[in-house]
Amino acid sequence: MRDTAPSRDWRPVLRGRDLTFTHRRAEEAAVRGVSLSVSPGTLLAVVGPNGAGKTTLMRLLSGSLPPQEGGVTLDDRPLAGLADRERALAIAVVPQSESSPFPVTVREMVGMGRYAHLGAWERSGTRDRAVVDDAMARCAVAGFADRQLGELSGGERQRARIARALAQEAPVLLLDEPTAGLDLRYRMELFHLLRQLRAAGLGVLVITHDLNLAARFADRLLLLDRGRALARGAPDEVLSRESLEPVYEWPLRVVPHPGPGSDTGAPQTVPLRRDDR
Amino acid sequence: MTHTPRRLALLALIVVAALAFSVSFGASGIGPGDLWRALSGSGDATTRSILLQLRLPRAALAALVGGALGLSGCTFQALLRNPLAEPYVLGVSGGAAVGAVAVVVTGIGVALPWMLPLGAFLGAMAAMALVLEVARRAAPGRMDTRVLILSGVIIGAFFNAVILLLLSMADVESFRSAIFWMMGNLSGADWASTGLLALLLVPGAVAVLSLARAFNLLSRGEEVAFYLGASVQRVKLTAYLAASLMVAAAVAAGGVIGFVGLIVPHAVRLAWGNDHRLLLPASFLAGTAFLLLADTIARLVVAPAELPTGVVTAVAGVPFFVALLLRGGRR
Repeated sequence: MRDTAPSRDWRPVLRGRDLTFTHRRAEEAAVRGVSLSVSPGTLLAVVGPNGAGKTTLMRLLSGSLPPQEGGVTLDDRPLAGLADRERALAIAVVPQSESSPFPVTVREMVGMGRYAHLGAWERSGTRDRAVVDDAMARCAVAGFADRQLGELSGGERQRARIARALAQEAPVLLLDEPTAGLDLRYRMELFHLLRQLRAAGLGVLVITHDLNLAARFADRLLLLDRGRALARGAPDEVLSRESLEPVYEWPLRVVPHPGPGSDTGAPQTVPLRRDDR
Repeated sequence: MTHTPRRLALLALIVVAALAFSVSFGASGIGPGDLWRALSGSGDATTRSILLQLRLPRAALAALVGGALGLSGCTFQALLRNPLAEPYVLGVSGGAAVGAVAVVVTGIGVALPWMLPLGAFLGAMAAMALVLEVARRAAPGRMDTRVLILSGVIIGAFFNAVILLLLSMADVESFRSAIFWMMGNLSGADWASTGLLALLLVPGAVAVLSLARAFNLLSRGEEVAFYLGASVQRVKLTAYLAASLMVAAAVAAGGVIGFVGLIVPHAVRLAWGNDHRLLLPASFLAGTAFLLLADTIARLVVAPAELPTGVVTAVAGVPFFVALLLRGGRR
């Protein structure tokens, strides 16, 4: 397997064109005609209300759901044509949640990220262990590497899942609400980490409900509503009272981030109380 | 992972000790000293032949059946993501029992004794194909393990009804032999059946062991396993076919011996965790040692008569497992 692993400098573009998907027995399409690309060195945040189709869109992009219309390509190769291992070497995914009847330790969990790098009978080597250690350190889970996942807090488990995706060493990273369950500090740590990965040349897509952090960290935003791409572009182009109020069906104001910091002025969304409408 | 070779070596030592124990004790009063003399070529011919033609093939059969049940039980737990799964959960044993009981009740087994394992094996294979086909039609295009488990349980229940029907028509003697077979019984062991079993087990065991890493992924859920690079559908189908083949071969050789395939993998999980790279081979070795000991006890307790091995595995296995549970999980 080692020989087929792509070079670490490989920076492919993951592109979805006119993606459409209707779930079985659903009346309306979950995703309709959405096009987007996850480019190297870019942090793209997908935002939108519950049920807007964000998770379905991520599943289409990751290859786990085949689109009914449109297609997904990785550097202009159809994603569906890739072998499972090849795909996992290119795209790492942190899905919203997971559970298991069989407990594992953090180290075992993060080690699973090396699956695509190893043959069936191959034992993990020095480099695999180094990558796992590095991923655990970056997600601040190295301190309890040998504890079981079930004994950890929700935030610690979440970071272990992100570490597992990093251990895949894939150039494209997709995360579905990775900040859910994280406290203020780790939400900030996580977005800083995503920023670092982007600086290292990864293409990162993050689904999030945290409009304010998305505005401060993401290069581009995609606003989804009822399966459609309603707005896209830089944070201050997408986030405005006019675009958000009808989507969330809630009164709000968008104000500039007061600073200090390099992200001073980033649009921050403040939902109003119902009685102040 | 660093503990894996040492832990497997420890289990292998236990297996060798269990094998020596099993071969050394029996109804005829041949003891450990005679074993040594027979193996080194001295000793008298009767002793030699008892050891080499009776006890050794029987011990080898117990070892293989136990290993197959431990390994396949562990595989079904991984495939179905269900800690309660065991080798017989998907109806393979029911199919085998229908085949075996049919051979016994129709009297074919008296004239042609080798038809009994053959009937059991064919019944098991038929059950495997039937369960898979029902599951495939119920969830086209992919193998849904929830549908698979439903299909297996229902078809197993149907086979049980067929067995009762066959037994209700049986005479007293064949009724008794059929029940004995279903309780699990290794007394028919000879080198031919043991060799055949080994031959059938090798491909199944190799296939399952090659999936150890994929099972680790699968335990986190199919979607996660897919993202990490596992070929989920292929892994599941291979696991199902390989484990079913092993169960079919084991049941054909030794009848329906219960509890080994449930208890052994869990004992290993509790002691050493859930990494299938260790768990799968350890379940094979621990199953081997466990059934060797259980079968020796089955031969000794009421000697010169014998208990059905399956009774011993249940009676000895359940308290052992409860003790393990009470001791608490892995630390």
